[in-house]
Amino acid sequence: MFEIVEWIAFVIGLVLVVIGAICDLAGSLGLLRFPNFFVRLHAATVGTIGGAVIPLFGIALIALVSSQLGPYRWAVAGGAVIAAILIMIIAPAGSHALAYAAHKSKSVPVTPKVCDLLEEHEKRKKEVGE
Amino acid sequence: MDTSTILSLVLPALFVVFFTAFTLYIIRIIKGPTVFDMTLAVDCLAFDLAVFIGLLTLYFRTPFLIIGAIALALWAYILDIYIAKYFVRREVGE
Repeated sequence: MFEIVEWIAFVIGLVLVVIGAICDLAGSLGLLRFPNFFVRLHAATVGTIGGAVIPLFGIALIALVSSQLGPYRWAVAGGAVIAAILIMIIAPAGSHALAYAAHKSKSVPVTPKVCDLLEEHEKRKKEVGE
Repeated sequence: MDTSTILSLVLPALFVVFFTAFTLYIIRIIKGPTVFDMTLAVDCLAFDLAVFIGLLTLYFRTPFLIIGAIALALWAYILDIYIAKYFVRREVGE
């Protein structure tokens, strides 16, 4: 019975790692092909959340059932889960900060623009200030 | 078939995919028209290196490599925040 559970966890972990590798490749292709910084942020999300968080959870699952690691498998699984949760919190915060700085410093043009609420807000603030 | 045998067969194929992604990220870091593109690519590269270290942990069957993954994730965040801070306020610190 326990062996079946171990095999299921192993297969799920391996599938998660393979999904992560595919997302990673897609994210890197998007980062290379997309036209400007604000569009590339979308590809970067695929590369970080899909390509880093998901395979780290898979690594944790695989490490939990791999007996060749011995008692250290708990340490490996814990480290992988901590790294995954950290990346899940850190990656959106970091890319948000970068996008805000790029918009604020006006070093990247916002080219496929439908509506730019931040720019309108700053314009309104300037008018009120004057 | 044992789990370690499957891992030793599957992981080298995954390493090839990861190395391809690393190469594309490095091309973006070198080409990157603005600093923000470079920072974003370094970010993705650091997070993927964390995953790669996790896979190496499984491949070499040693637990000590996984500690580096946490440090790599935090390092990328520090880089993001400092670059953003510099471009918003034109200074770092304070």
